[in-house]
Amino acid sequence: MASEKSLSYVPLSSAINPSFFSKLSQLKLEVLKSEEKFVPIWGYTKLINDLNLPVNLIEVDSTSFNLHFLEHETHIPFYGNVQNVNTIEKFKNCDKQLLVDLEGAKFHEKLMNGDILKNPSLINWFHLLTYADLKKYQLYYWFAFPVLQNIVLRIARTCNITEEFSDNLVNDLYNEFKKLDSNQKPYFAVVKLQNFVQVNSLYETCNDWSFFKERELYFAFINFAPADNVGSNLRLYAACLVHFHPDLGNTEVNFIALNLGRNKDGVTLKSSTVYKLKLPDNASIDWSRWLGWEKNEKKNMGPRFVNLKKSIDPEEIMELSTDLNLKLMKWNMVPNLNLNKIKAAKCLLLGAGTLGCAVARSLLGWGVRHMTFVDYGVVNSSNPVRQSLFTFQDVLDSKPKAQAAADCLKSIHPGVVTKGYQMSIPMPGHLVNGEDIQEAIESVEKLDKLIDTHDVIFLLLDSREGRWLPTVLGARKQKIVINAALGFDSYLIMRHGIHVENATTPQAHNTSSRDLKSISGVNLGCYFCNDVVAPGNSTKDRTLDQQCTVTRPGVSQIAGAYAAELAVSLLVHDKGVAAPAYYSSKNNELDVDETEPSVLGLVPHSIRGFISSFEQFCPATEKFTNCTACSQFVMKNLFLNGTQFLLSIFNDSKQLERISEVPKYCDSIDNEAILDEEFSDWEIK
Amino acid sequence: MSLFNPEDPFEIDLISITERAAVFNVEIKRINAKMDNAIMSYKDFVTYIEAILAISNSTSDYWKLNVVNDNKFLTKKQSVLLENPEDINERLIATFEYHVVYNISYAVPVLCFDVWNQNGSRISLEDYWKYNKHLRDFNMHDTLTQTDHPALNRPIFAFHPCKTHEILKGFARTSKNPIVSWLSVVRHFVHLELLETYIKNC
Ligand SMILES: [Zn+2]
Repeated sequence: MASEKSLSYVPLSSAINPSFFSKLSQLKLEVLKSEEKFVPIWGYTKLINDLNLPVNLIEVDSTSFNLHFLEHETHIPFYGNVQNVNTIEKFKNCDKQLLVDLEGAKFHEKLMNGDILKNPSLINWFHLLTYADLKKYQLYYWFAFPVLQNIVLRIARTCNITEEFSDNLVNDLYNEFKKLDSNQKPYFAVVKLQNFVQVNSLYETCNDWSFFKERELYFAFINFAPADNVGSNLRLYAACLVHFHPDLGNTEVNFIALNLGRNKDGVTLKSSTVYKLKLPDNASIDWSRWLGWEKNEKKNMGPRFVNLKKSIDPEEIMELSTDLNLKLMKWNMVPNLNLNKIKAAKCLLLGAGTLGCAVARSLLGWGVRHMTFVDYGVVNSSNPVRQSLFTFQDVLDSKPKAQAAADCLKSIHPGVVTKGYQMSIPMPGHLVNGEDIQEAIESVEKLDKLIDTHDVIFLLLDSREGRWLPTVLGARKQKIVINAALGFDSYLIMRHGIHVENATTPQAHNTSSRDLKSISGVNLGCYFCNDVVAPGNSTKDRTLDQQCTVTRPGVSQIAGAYAAELAVSLLVHDKGVAAPAYYSSKNNELDVDETEPSVLGLVPHSIRGFISSFEQFCPATEKFTNCTACSQFVMKNLFLNGTQFLLSIFNDSKQLERISEVPKYCDSIDNEAILDEEFSDWEIK
Repeated sequence: MSLFNPEDPFEIDLISITERAAVFNVEIKRINAKMDNAIMSYKDFVTYIEAILAISNSTSDYWKLNVVNDNKFLTKKQSVLLENPEDINERLIATFEYHVVYNISYAVPVLCFDVWNQNGSRISLEDYWKYNKHLRDFNMHDTLTQTDHPALNRPIFAFHPCKTHEILKGFARTSKNPIVSWLSVVRHFVHLELLETYIKNC
């Protein structure tokens, strides 16, 4: 090779691992939000380069955000910062020169305070500017591998390492290299002696400079370009050396560009190159002017762009985008919202009809990942138009509704854990005898187990008495029970109280201010509390149009949505199922702040609405002492007699009234008064 | 208080990862039981990949052993400069991540891989074919498909195991490490670099 030639350098090349984007998204959503600060990340390159690559790739992936770099045995770390800006304009318009100059100034500081000398691997550094459009899975990014401007190294001599080092010395060099601390491996000093080589850190060399400068000294570095080329990091290395040892300025200094390769015997350094280079004068080095922004694929000075939509697993995309919408809501509207609590909630939907479908869709939107359906019916031809989880094909297949609903959820979002059970729920007044007894027992046991294994129980059945057993079991097991019921143009959504062993009679309403009253969530009434008559076979005497639940189509959508929203409000409330329900005794509008709200606001006991007048209000009532479902009497019987008690109720619903001591109660109060009382709840101010 | 018989056979069934692992183990046992006519048991597979790993570690090669759901497999990441044989100016740097995994139903190892561009976007099979002469010459289109990774349960490219079966049969009795022999055959289709050391020692 000709002498007195200046070196040409191969710039480093960046590579993004597909896992990087997901991690960056997560960082933005969970930590950075709309901050644009610098976040330290790792890049890394292989110690032994892949065979035919023109230059080492500096890769970033999901592990780049880890605190520590762990792959020192096989990789060399690059220190860097990523700055994710919020808008494409900011990405385009920010001053790139200023950016590398400022980052370069930080490097210079580390050089001055000795950090670089102690840890020369800091010479391998980069900066990464990004703009991530999370909704479109697009990433604009630009890497800089900064080096100083105007560093010129002239070649005085160059040869293969084997021309200056015997085979034994080359092997020796590799063995000594392996012993170096990982931070010292990329840049170190070599003293060549007669029969062996001595390897020292730059720090050791500097401390004893007067000794080392008299030896046959080589400054070694890991070359990021294939042999015969040199990685651009050499310039920064040379500038640092002149800073450590100003007497090296304007002199010729030996370098070894290490290229690790493999041969039959393992790893070899034989393709490394020795350079004798004339270094610049220390005073001539300007530490304030940097360059190093990477060229893009078109070899232009410009950022790179990638659309990762096709690169991320579609299920992962689904998961990311559902979470994204929720998280946007979280940090824009409700910063304290605990999304994980909602995501983790296991929901049991009893009934997979219009209400079941509507509730499931809303829960899905909230990020609920675990839903179980129970329904006895199969999809029939009148269902798909009103019940949003079914299609005509389900009708043709006579698919059980519970199964069809679960399958549909899966097809909407494969990440959902869902299952459908085709089973009937035993009801009071629906006679059970003979062979049916075993079946009824099994149904009760199944339902019992399902309620045990879920956190929120939705009662979305189309008959009143079907709600009785889950109401009783839900209260007994202290679960969140959300009940939704429809009239032709009205709806009722309510949450139930829970059973508490040996509870005293519910406290009177606490008055905190004016006409504001509250009832502890524990003591709230259930669906049956307002009925004195026990649930019986309500479908028995109906005509056909009464048996089909005929409602205005929007009612089930509204009610389903409210049921889901009520459940979510309750889930994120600090007190959960015990969250108190506030109401105004004079039907005045409530000041939400006074109602111990959840982060989402008020958590009412019930929501009653009428489409005919488009009106709605939120009354609250306490448990009824003689309730045929949630009273102490029923709970006690259930505790003492279990399934036998339930069977007797299925066969004779009137028994319930006796157990709950309803007749006694009726004797004591006159019926008019009850009606009046209930009506006053309903009246609009 | 539990109201009902706790030994109810009824189970809430969630196909969780642990259950998948359990299913996997049962399958392994089933397959090992009828090993006489199978090509490679999971146990043998593990022995072979561990031998590969040992050589990799001694030569600073990049094979890594992964264990997911009790399922062991090898991975290696490698970047390659690809050139379109028909247009030398069309070049790209592709990064491959190879997975050598066990397929229980075929009782053979499977070579799976992901491949992406320098910017992290995945390279489609169509684009990939353009750059791979071997694939086109050997008409491998049919055998290279997208499938579910046996251990990670996510989509990944793979050679269909039926061909693997054929190739392995040839080595079953003669090779010390049939996985290495098989890799030395299929590696050309996926630019996988395989050091001579592996072939020499197996
Ligand atoms: Zn009640």
